[in-house]
Amino acid sequence: MPETVAEGVPSDLVDFVKEHSRATVAGNNRQVLDDFRPDRIGQLIKSAKLPPNLVSSQLLHIAPDSDGLIAAVTCYTAADGTETLLRARWIKIAKGWVVNDVRNLPDTPPPMADTGPAEDGRDTPYWEGLRDNELRMQQCDDCANWIWPPRPICPRCHSFASTWTSVALTGTVFSWMRTWLPFAPEFSGHLPFVTILVELPHAGGRRLLGVLLDADGVDPKIGQGVHGEIEAAPSPGGWPMLRWRLT
Amino acid sequence: MSANRTLRGKAAVVGIGSTPYRKRGTSEYSALELILQATLAACADAGVDPRQVDGFASYANDRTEGLVVGGSLGVREIRWSTMVWGGGGGGVAAAVNAAAAAVATGQAECVLVYRGITEADDGRGSYGKGHFPPLLTAHGAVAPAQICALRTQRMLEVDGVPPSAMEALVMASYQHAQQNPGAIAYGSPLDRERYADARWVSEPLRLYDCSRENDAASAVLVVSAERARECASPPAYVLSGVQGSGPNWTESLENEEHYTSAGFHPDMVARLWDSAAVKADDVDVVQVYENFSGPAVASLIDFGLCPPGAAAGEFMTVANLLAPDGKFPVNTAGGNIAEGFVHGIGLVVEAVRQIRGSSSNQVVGADVSLLIGGPMAPLVSATVFGSEATL
Repeated sequence: MPETVAEGVPSDLVDFVKEHSRATVAGNNRQVLDDFRPDRIGQLIKSAKLPPNLVSSQLLHIAPDSDGLIAAVTCYTAADGTETLLRARWIKIAKGWVVNDVRNLPDTPPPMADTGPAEDGRDTPYWEGLRDNELRMQQCDDCANWIWPPRPICPRCHSFASTWTSVALTGTVFSWMRTWLPFAPEFSGHLPFVTILVELPHAGGRRLLGVLLDADGVDPKIGQGVHGEIEAAPSPGGWPMLRWRLT
Repeated sequence: MSANRTLRGKAAVVGIGSTPYRKRGTSEYSALELILQATLAACADAGVDPRQVDGFASYANDRTEGLVVGGSLGVREIRWSTMVWGGGGGGVAAAVNAAAAAVATGQAECVLVYRGITEADDGRGSYGKGHFPPLLTAHGAVAPAQICALRTQRMLEVDGVPPSAMEALVMASYQHAQQNPGAIAYGSPLDRERYADARWVSEPLRLYDCSRENDAASAVLVVSAERARECASPPAYVLSGVQGSGPNWTESLENEEHYTSAGFHPDMVARLWDSAAVKADDVDVVQVYENFSGPAVASLIDFGLCPPGAAAGEFMTVANLLAPDGKFPVNTAGGNIAEGFVHGIGLVVEAVRQIRGSSSNQVVGADVSLLIGGPMAPLVSATVFGSEATL
């Protein structure tokens, strides 16, 4: 299958990108690293993730992005037939063409190890609720105050009685960030990703953090509507995760 | 507020000591050894026998207990011990204030305030430990940079503070560091192009918006005003101190009210100025804790030192922020961003240097020197230092 080369892509770059992919498949790490932008090699190595035992690569398409960088999507095939898509964005600096940023496609949330109830267990009903396909949050039985984060007592009326109430999965973006640095090993293959702080009108405006799906290249706007969906647990005994999409 | 209920002029920092800043994970000494080196330097600076230290104050769960420091120094007696709750660099000024309260009320004579970190002893990211439960980590929020990115984004997008305010703070810090041979960024100037072109850490924060992580320690010695006058170095008097958090703020998992504030609520700021008997306009120089550039701008807005919203951009210019001639010099040693990061204890040392006239970027005639502790932390704190002339 021939690659798609968009207008405005320098012809020397197309060959350069293919050569970079061949070096990646061949495990020629020295050449691969030499193609990375020097001030961010460490970050780039940990951003993308490829399976071992690669056998081939194919450039699918290459086109300029709105910021002037050239985005090249390459499909890497492993010995077991697994295909992995990487999008590298190239920039020309004094030493020549280098990779400015790289990511796996499609964009997926980092599969974090640290999920499930906290040590103090106060958020256990939240996590159990997700297993029942519901968002549940703590609400005071006496004054109806939404208690979040979970606490043993209502900070407003000091009642110890509370109920975990089902909350509709709609909200608005209160703020957002896009993480690029590989702060945790689980981020590899999922960088960058967007995390939003969701304001929940059906829970007294309390706010929850969550990963925004389909956020590749998207800058959410504060105030935009979002809809939550509960992602199944990755394994038996694991915990479902609440994710968000712009509406 | 009646004068006998304030700290004004009753205590002073008389000794300062710092080890060199090293890249994280490269110190040949343990955190305790670094703290002891800084302590001996602070005592020598003050002309005080280290055995006379009788109190210890620190913050952010420093792993080196004051009693261990005291034992190593062979102190004659321990009369005071304070660890500030609240984690993070928010407690840095609170530790100074605690020491001042101890000596002002005669509960101790000579209190050491210190903080020391090595990656070997404290691990990577020690500054954020205990503040990231699964309700954050499960969603890939594992580091303070990410939390501060969320808050900064709203400050930019909703409050309308221009990103240039953050840039100006960073550029001024780097320019100051070029005159400070002890700064990690000494000899590495930063230009606007390199700042803007640096890699993202967590949008909207780029690399140079973030403080460093270093192996080092600093210590300062706090005594009563009476005792201060007998010491070898000029006293930096504590004019006032505050710590705490406002309503619906603390430990709220991003549910804090006034979300884009740094946490210095209006009552707290008013108390700081009132008990110091100074106004914001009287401040000659500021050390503002910058874990990240955005929260530092939020702090300056909270204190009324910088206007909120779009006007922050007109105020926060490199020219305004530079010593000695800027209208409002900040982070004159380079700060956490360009001098070095040990949870902000270096900012205390620099705030005192400005009162002494010994900064590498001295503000001429600085009489009122403001220290602002870690912004956006569950607990925040501040201290106003004054020269003899302010008493």
